[in-house]
Amino acid sequence: MIKLREIERDFAVGDQVVHALRKVDLDIQEGEYLSLMGPSGSGKSTLMHILGLLDHPTAGAYELDGRNVTGLDDAAQAAVRRNKIGFVFQFFHLVPYLTAAENAELPLVLSGIDPAERRDRVAASLASLGLSDRSGHRPDQLSGGQRQRVAIARAMISKPSVLLADEPTGNLDRSSGNEVIHLIEDLHTSHGLTLVVVTHDPEMGERAQRRIHMIDGQIREDNRGSAA
Amino acid sequence: MNLRDLPAMAARVLVRHPARSGLMLLAMSIGVASVVVLTSLGESARRFVSDEFASLGTHLIMVSPGRTETSGVGPSMFAGDTPRDLTIADATAVARSRYLSDVAPMVMGQANVSWGGREREAPLLGATASLRRIRRWTLAQGRFLPDGDPERDSGMCVIGAKLRKELFGPRRALGEWLKVGDRRCRITGILAEEGRSIGMDVEEVVVMPVAGALALLNRPSINRIMANARSHELMDRASEDIRQILKKRHQGEEDVTVVTQDALLATFDRILAALTYTVGGIAGISLIVAGILIMNVMLVSVSQRTAEIGLLKALGAPREEILRLFLVEATGLSMAGAFLGLAIGVLARLAILYFYPVLPLTWPIWAIGAALATALVVGLAFGVIPARRAAGLDPVAALSHH
Ligand SMILES: Nc1ncnc2c1ncn2[C@@H]1O[C@H](COP(=O)(O)OP(=O)(O)OP(=O)(O)O)[C@@H](O)[C@H]1O
Ligand SMILES: [Mg+2]
Repeated sequence: MIKLREIERDFAVGDQVVHALRKVDLDIQEGEYLSLMGPSGSGKSTLMHILGLLDHPTAGAYELDGRNVTGLDDAAQAAVRRNKIGFVFQFFHLVPYLTAAENAELPLVLSGIDPAERRDRVAASLASLGLSDRSGHRPDQLSGGQRQRVAIARAMISKPSVLLADEPTGNLDRSSGNEVIHLIEDLHTSHGLTLVVVTHDPEMGERAQRRIHMIDGQIREDNRGSAA
Repeated sequence: MNLRDLPAMAARVLVRHPARSGLMLLAMSIGVASVVVLTSLGESARRFVSDEFASLGTHLIMVSPGRTETSGVGPSMFAGDTPRDLTIADATAVARSRYLSDVAPMVMGQANVSWGGREREAPLLGATASLRRIRRWTLAQGRFLPDGDPERDSGMCVIGAKLRKELFGPRRALGEWLKVGDRRCRITGILAEEGRSIGMDVEEVVVMPVAGALALLNRPSINRIMANARSHELMDRASEDIRQILKKRHQGEEDVTVVTQDALLATFDRILAALTYTVGGIAGISLIVAGILIMNVMLVSVSQRTAEIGLLKALGAPREEILRLFLVEATGLSMAGAFLGLAIGVLARLAILYFYPVLPLTWPIWAIGAALATALVVGLAFGVIPARRAAGLDPVAALSHH
């Protein structure tokens, strides 16, 4: 369902050009669980941004569900993000003045879902993530693990088919990190969600069925099958 | 995004940033309040003046000696010096015009008035019986000057209520002989207390026949002829008729100024309306200042909320939606400020009415409308730059902003 062909991403820094991605080819099947590893600066986040339509490749083609999305205009790309893609970030990115429930509700507001349905879906989502008693709390009244769970609720509320998680446990201690990764994996298995996780933690990376190793803007290794 | 959710979302942002919103609200409301209060004061002054004129009668035509090119307020209205005299005979001739219902020759001066050892100086008005009808005076006691030959002094006079009180106290004034300058006259009536009247304080005046007043003041000619047209429609024809009559009597020379009540009122009206627009405009500048403040605070808000904007984009908000969101915030805020300003204006009006109850304070609807419209336009105009900046942010860069 995801097809990247010869994707390049160059950044101009002063009079130099940084090649963050060099001719990346990547196919991801529906329902795959994929981990993305590699040294700092190897282009993992850049690849995630392109997968999530937050960034445009300098060259190459991106096909999502059989449709070329590289040339879509801003509104059409926004619609794809709204309907098909969920993000989980290292720094949570919750809106500080909104409650947990209001944060989780945001994608539904943007999709124009009516308030009654929004309320029900948010309540159900927070409940499934064990956050029912925190729904009225602001982010600064939540622990790191709880914040990331709110962010997961927000990412999943629109029922996307792809979840992109860029170092989702990077800001968490080991136990809440484990909790978060288990929640994400549960969603993957129960919803048939396509899951791409960037991580620096080899142990976490090994959990994925498919492990991609990037170096210097290129895919060096692409291992399938259970590693353990 | 549903259009219904847009204002709710904007309102939520504003409510949850009370300090920032409060500041912008304050600036906007002060701007709107000052526009409304200042134009209301200007408008009230205009009303006040036109009410004054209306109390003089709306069919009124005034003839003064001397020619002034401008219609309306000319120097001869105020200056006593006359290039060519107006006489009682002129007034009598004018009175024969079929367009006029009442004509009164008038002379004005000051005189010492005394009775029973009490003496004071009072404004003296020489006139005829017609003046009461022209100025719509009512009498508290007795009668006004009798009809009769204006060239003759009937030896009677009428005094204002305040003058009566000062000279006679609790005693009866009617029928008493009053000494005015070096003449004596018999009091036939007391003028009722008037609200107000332009030009002369009716409460202190002595009114005597114009012939007697001319003799007393030792003047050869009158100051003015006051006349009432038979109807409002006849005003122009009546004015023209007066000009022709006097031209014929003055050897073909047009040496008088004929001013209608309307023309005079229109002049004052123009001056005061211009004044109102001016103060309104100056107050309007404070609205622009408020707009600039809103713009700056919104710009700061956009840079503080950069990560939030990046997030909204990541969640699937298109550029136009971000633009709309910020525009609605800015205009919502300025409209809220405008309505708050109106509320402040209402309170200010109550305060002004409390301290100056005589002022006929009105609300110029146009000023309220203009203030609200300006607030809306200001909010939109000054909201555009921050909103465009927000909408144009690159999502990846915005998300990594801290
Ligand atoms: N906006 C930018 N402007 C210039 N260079 C950039 C920009 N974004 C990324 N880069 C460069 O592109 C390369 C890849 O960056 P990227 O963020 O994708 O790395 P990463 O693999 O996610 O690293 P990390 O593990 O540290 O998050 C780096 O060399 C980085 O400096
Ligand atoms: Mg990264």
